[in-house]
Amino acid sequence: MLFPTVEYALFFIAVLAVAWSLYRFPVAHKSLLLLASYIFYGFWNWTYIPLLFGISLFSGLIAQRIQRSRTATAKKRWLATGVTVCLATLGYYKYTGFLMTSLLQTWGRFAPPPHIQVYSPLLPLGISFFVFHAISLLCDCYRGKVREPVNLGDALLYVAFFPQLIAGPILRASRFLPQLAMRRNPNSIRVNRAFLLIVSGLFKKVVISNMLATRLVEPVFSVPQSFGAWDTLLAVYGYAAQIYCDFSGYTDIAIGCALLLGYRFPRNFNAPYTAADPQEFWRRWHISLSSWLRDYLYFPLGGSRKGRVRTYINLMVTMLLGGLWHGAAWTFVVWGGLHGSYLIVHRLWSRIGWRPLVRWRATTAWRWMARILLFHAVCVGWVFFRSSSFAIAYTVFGRLMVSGAATLATGPVLMVLFLGLAGQFMPPRWRNGLEIELGRWPALARGAVLAAVIATIEILGPTGVAPFIYFQF
Amino acid sequence: MRSVSLTQPIRKMFLAVAGFLVAIVLLESDGLASWANHLEIGPLRTVAVPVTAAVQKTLHPLGVAAIRDHALEALARAGWTDDAALLARAANPPRACDLPGASGCPTSASANSPNPALMPGSGSGASSPDHSAHNPFLNAPGARMPLLGDVPKTTALTPLPPVEAGKPRVVALTGDSMMAVGLSAELMREAAGDKNLRIVKAFRSGTGLARPEVFNWMEEYPAMLGAEKPDVVIVAIGANDGQGFVVDGKVLPYGSVDWLKVYQERIAEFLAMVGEGGARVVWVGLPPMRGYIYNEKIANLNRITYTVVSQSPRATWWNPASYVGDEAGKYREYVTLANGQTMRIRSTDGIHLSDEGAGLLTSELLKWLDPPAQTTSGAAEAPAMAAVVPADHVRPTARTKQHTRQKAK
Repeated sequence: MLFPTVEYALFFIAVLAVAWSLYRFPVAHKSLLLLASYIFYGFWNWTYIPLLFGISLFSGLIAQRIQRSRTATAKKRWLATGVTVCLATLGYYKYTGFLMTSLLQTWGRFAPPPHIQVYSPLLPLGISFFVFHAISLLCDCYRGKVREPVNLGDALLYVAFFPQLIAGPILRASRFLPQLAMRRNPNSIRVNRAFLLIVSGLFKKVVISNMLATRLVEPVFSVPQSFGAWDTLLAVYGYAAQIYCDFSGYTDIAIGCALLLGYRFPRNFNAPYTAADPQEFWRRWHISLSSWLRDYLYFPLGGSRKGRVRTYINLMVTMLLGGLWHGAAWTFVVWGGLHGSYLIVHRLWSRIGWRPLVRWRATTAWRWMARILLFHAVCVGWVFFRSSSFAIAYTVFGRLMVSGAATLATGPVLMVLFLGLAGQFMPPRWRNGLEIELGRWPALARGAVLAAVIATIEILGPTGVAPFIYFQF
Repeated sequence: MRSVSLTQPIRKMFLAVAGFLVAIVLLESDGLASWANHLEIGPLRTVAVPVTAAVQKTLHPLGVAAIRDHALEALARAGWTDDAALLARAANPPRACDLPGASGCPTSASANSPNPALMPGSGSGASSPDHSAHNPFLNAPGARMPLLGDVPKTTALTPLPPVEAGKPRVVALTGDSMMAVGLSAELMREAAGDKNLRIVKAFRSGTGLARPEVFNWMEEYPAMLGAEKPDVVIVAIGANDGQGFVVDGKVLPYGSVDWLKVYQERIAEFLAMVGEGGARVVWVGLPPMRGYIYNEKIANLNRITYTVVSQSPRATWWNPASYVGDEAGKYREYVTLANGQTMRIRSTDGIHLSDEGAGLLTSELLKWLDPPAQTTSGAAEAPAMAAVVPADHVRPTARTKQHTRQKAK
């Protein structure tokens, strides 16, 4: 059940109506949301429901064990058990094929590999996200950030809650469980904000992302040999806009739907291409993942507390594993490695204390130069991220040197590309102003306007609905 | 008082949702009817189709749907869409007779109608009547063909005439995701720079021949080709076709005798259409699948397409299982080449081919489309290509070798 479909709209409206009818009865309300979440997940493939239920139940039980343990050693032991099982599950489903291929290819370089037939497991949808939720639950309990005793029902709902189940944002147990423990407050519903998020998410996904994918990115990245420098450059920029609009569009809709149900999700994107340095980029791009990696991987590795060299190693390890989290392929590892090296280079650069340089770095001109430089560095990473093999990535880079007309640069494509990239520079006050303005309208009219905008988006979008890019992760 | 203040936000939200529902039904009654018709055969469709059709009929006099159609056509003319069929429709807008509720119009389904299959009396739903005349199966009494036995493990592709100097061979690639994922990109990448070949893209993921009301290939394929006249057409389609469909309001469950008859007709019509103008057709069968039940379904679909395709003198049914399957033609995920290199040949879904798996097929197809000897002399006739190389003896071609080296970096 994809977000921009009639099926999801009907499902969500039904859940919304029943959930608010039951808001005075927390157990019934949460049971309904849990049931809805499993229906939502089972719509794709019901055979993986036991896996989702198993991981949720296991992490809930281990979290309870951690909370009840009296000694630090016992807590650590339960945490290690829980995290190991979660990571082993993720590793089995996501990385068996990758490891098998790598092993057999390496073996083949030295000796004839064995003729074995192995099947790598099929990848359950959203496993990277719900396993990370489970680990967050365990770690937050271990660190004492979850103060109330973990309720198993809440743990199940926290891991499986349908708006974030497939592609995030990754919620922290310490911030979401208290919301589940509270009685729903209808005054917390921000209908106008939710409507704006849903509409902007749909526009980004259905119009910008889908059009860029079908008209620009897919043709070039499938057969880069057929295109010259201008088309290739546009396709690289196009992918930067596409992946942003695709993923932030998904999370906008997720946050909007959760808001209508009375739950607050954290912001996941904050105009990432306005960043002027790699550190800032990661504070703006997929914020829930980068902060998860920071808190549960980078800090436990020692963060920046163990000397400069160790800091750089920790940064690189975190980004390499972050790359591997996105996909089981060496191209993703290279993408992570590139971002790790950007972060290290930026730290080294920031350490230079030569006064004229320090003054220059404080100027607006430098900030804009840094933005453009960083955007292109990020685009280099996106080429590896998008390419299905290194051969294709190298061909894309090679075609940037080959002259050729911009055959794909049609008016509509350039327009949505501009919107996808420049839209991030839109002042936040515009949206706030729109929200306030909407608040002055009668409720019926607000709903009608939402319908009109969605109908327009449907007309503007290409035929069919492409799956969200982040579903595969 | 407290209770009132608490429930007021909920009431307002429900009012907004009600406003949304009323407005969306008004604005999108056509879209909702189309959505219902696109649903898989089942209880939801059974309920949704009559309800949305009634709403559509009731709201049609308001003219909102016509405004929507005009907007779509205007956008198409402005270059907003690259949907070939929509562009064609924009150039030749439907007559008033094609709109629901119109009276006093001829009963035949128009090629410009968005969903001719849904019009009463449209038979199998394949809209173009022109191709049936060329189709011997449809004219035969009791058009249904008894299914042939197992598909052949080996097929020979008879050599093509040499490419004329300065006139590249036009090769159309058509089908669903079995063509769109892996196969087409690999073929186009490997053929890039080959002056003897020109590739035309005419494929679309998520389509098939079973449900013309969802995607009508008889309408879309000519639009995708435009002015191109292919010499060779490579077809890879059918992975989504293991489902029931509705004909004349009657549900035909997948695998029933009536279903088989209509599906065979649709394949035959499609085959006749893509082979028009004397194009040679290679129908790439579906590869073995990982899931047991799905694989059984695919094996049956292969038997059906093989039965129909093998009747045509200019079409060849080509079995990919001999390249991407194991010794028995069954699913396998990895292939070890003679040089010791191991490749993963299937994608993670257990359905589609990976780029490497597609490369095993494309290297053979390209040898047939543009034989190496012909490239140099331009006159030598290529030998008939055996479509099967025993799995243990798969040897990398020059192209595959290069590809493998690149992948292994």
